[in-house]
Amino acid sequence: MSALFAPTLAARDRRFGYAMAAPAIVVLAAIILAPVALALATSLFDYTLMNMTFDRFIGFDNFVAALSSSEFANSMVVTTLFVIAVVALEFVIGFIVALMLTTVKRGKNIYYLILLIPLLINPVVVGLIWRMLLHPTLGIVNWLLGGIGVPDIDWLGHPGTAFWTVVLVDIWHQVSFMAVLLTAGLSALPTEPYEAARAEGAGTLQTFWYITLPLMKPVIAVTLLIRLIFAIKTYDLIYIMTRGGPGDATDLISYYIYRSAFARLNLGEAAAMAILLMVIVIVLTLALFRTMRARG
Amino acid sequence: MAHIVLDKVTKSYAGGVTAVDAVDLEIRDGELMVLLGPSGCGKSTTLRMIAGLETISSGDLYIDGERVNEKDPRDRDLAIVFQNYALYPHMNVARNLGFGLKLRRVPPAEIERRVQETARMLGIEALLKRRPAQLSGGQRQRVALGRALVRQPRGFLLDEPLSNLDAQLRTTMRLELIKLHRQLGATIIHVTHDQLEAMTMGERICIMDGGKVVQVGPPADVYRNPASLFVAGFLASPPMNLLPAAVVGSDGGGLAVRVGATTLPLPEEYLQAYAGCRDRSVVLGVRPEDLHEAAPALPQITVAANAVEMVGPEVILVGTPEGLETEASARLSRAFRAEPGDRISLGVDMRQIHLFDPATGLAVPRPDLGFEPHRR
Repeated sequence: MSALFAPTLAARDRRFGYAMAAPAIVVLAAIILAPVALALATSLFDYTLMNMTFDRFIGFDNFVAALSSSEFANSMVVTTLFVIAVVALEFVIGFIVALMLTTVKRGKNIYYLILLIPLLINPVVVGLIWRMLLHPTLGIVNWLLGGIGVPDIDWLGHPGTAFWTVVLVDIWHQVSFMAVLLTAGLSALPTEPYEAARAEGAGTLQTFWYITLPLMKPVIAVTLLIRLIFAIKTYDLIYIMTRGGPGDATDLISYYIYRSAFARLNLGEAAAMAILLMVIVIVLTLALFRTMRARG
Repeated sequence: MAHIVLDKVTKSYAGGVTAVDAVDLEIRDGELMVLLGPSGCGKSTTLRMIAGLETISSGDLYIDGERVNEKDPRDRDLAIVFQNYALYPHMNVARNLGFGLKLRRVPPAEIERRVQETARMLGIEALLKRRPAQLSGGQRQRVALGRALVRQPRGFLLDEPLSNLDAQLRTTMRLELIKLHRQLGATIIHVTHDQLEAMTMGERICIMDGGKVVQVGPPADVYRNPASLFVAGFLASPPMNLLPAAVVGSDGGGLAVRVGATTLPLPEEYLQAYAGCRDRSVVLGVRPEDLHEAAPALPQITVAANAVEMVGPEVILVGTPEGLETEASARLSRAFRAEPGDRISLGVDMRQIHLFDPATGLAVPRPDLGFEPHRR
């Protein structure tokens, strides 16, 4: 009997499920799918803030223009360097912190709290705080460094230093994310292989290299990918701290798209670049899903 | 090969808990020693201290005459097999087996040769490319054992390696371990809470309780002469019957044990040994196989049958002796039949009994008359 009813029951379950999910799907479609579709359409038209009409279809001209622009190329290079620097450094520091945290016995929660504080701060606020701290003449950082004889540094005003200053501020803000995720991964590792390795005579470094690292591989992959995707989209920090400058030293892709749309008023080209960025992020997201599935 | 000596080895924790309390034990070179006891008795902690996975709070540990308290596990050259096998989940079987050798910088060709050799010995050659997750419990167990064997260590420490296997596989692996021990002649310390495993495997058994060694000896000795109520009640299934009793004088200057409504005369050979117990309460220990049905030549005790369990080669009768509330079991021939409530007269082989001091829990020493069971 139950076998006879099962399909209908399953079908009814499914229908009920769709009904429950429908409102959320409608809202998501309205606020995500529609704007994306609009951006896609915009990217195919000669659409500027001076002439906001879809009356001149130009095919892929906006994409061609974007890809052949040296500014776009520069922002791609800057973004790539920024993402690599930020993700790599945050990973190394985060992993070291995580490894140290796993050996902590007392007061672990206090360390977690301290680690989480930067993560809880809005990026705009982080940017404002650091702009104040790093102010070349009024900032406390230069004042402190002056105390030990270091001459004033123009942290954000010099093309050579501005990029690394932004990188350092981002590390300050986001390194906890890595540390917390990797700590969770480490604490979920089985303890038995460690005992076995110790009994077999593995030293600390050998244990790390042959046991911890391979066992952590899935967690590391997921952590790196999530951070990578978020790092590519970095915008607020740049907007507050450097506006892409000095020159184009910190002109990350998100900020460059913003400038194209609202400073150069060329919405069509900005939309084309946004679509390109979206494709990159989607590819990375698919990679993330694949890694997570492989882990499960 | 390893000769391992524990001299007052103690493990105490910060909270004031003493897990292992001044254990003295000598494991001879090439011996298979079983550490037996209930969970929490300190047997695993003792093993882990020998392995070097736990620090020794006080006392000394010697391997081949050298004090090794502060030595790293790697320098003790003992291999340990864990209860949960503790295989490396990310390595295939071959790499699991070879990892210890790789750490010791053995050349790859030599590792390959020894891995193959060990795999052949354990019958796991076909599994070398598999990951632990793709193996059954018995196969994992073999790999864990192989990981210990491949290193050719001085000795093996086995921490309940059979307890995660099903009953049938456990019996098979037990025999294989015994065979392996004979083949290698290596020193093995085997920890278990299974008294049957201890009895069948051990050349000597060390019984532990509450962090202390209670008795050490060959299985047959420990079985025949349990040193305490704990050992008597722990070994064998069903264990020795332990009945409240008193020693009284009998006609003709002899001694007898009064248990409930029954008075059982003590054999002449024990009179001297048990003289000190006269007019005192004792615990009478009788093994279930020393109670016999239809044995008119032996002193009789009457029990009221509570249950009759047919276990195949024999029948276990559980009954309450007259005048007592404690139950006793008897292993009787498979032809025995009774209904609950029946009153059954059983002969007691008094040459095999033991008396225990209820205050200390220790056996009152008596001469060993050897093992000459009553013939039916």
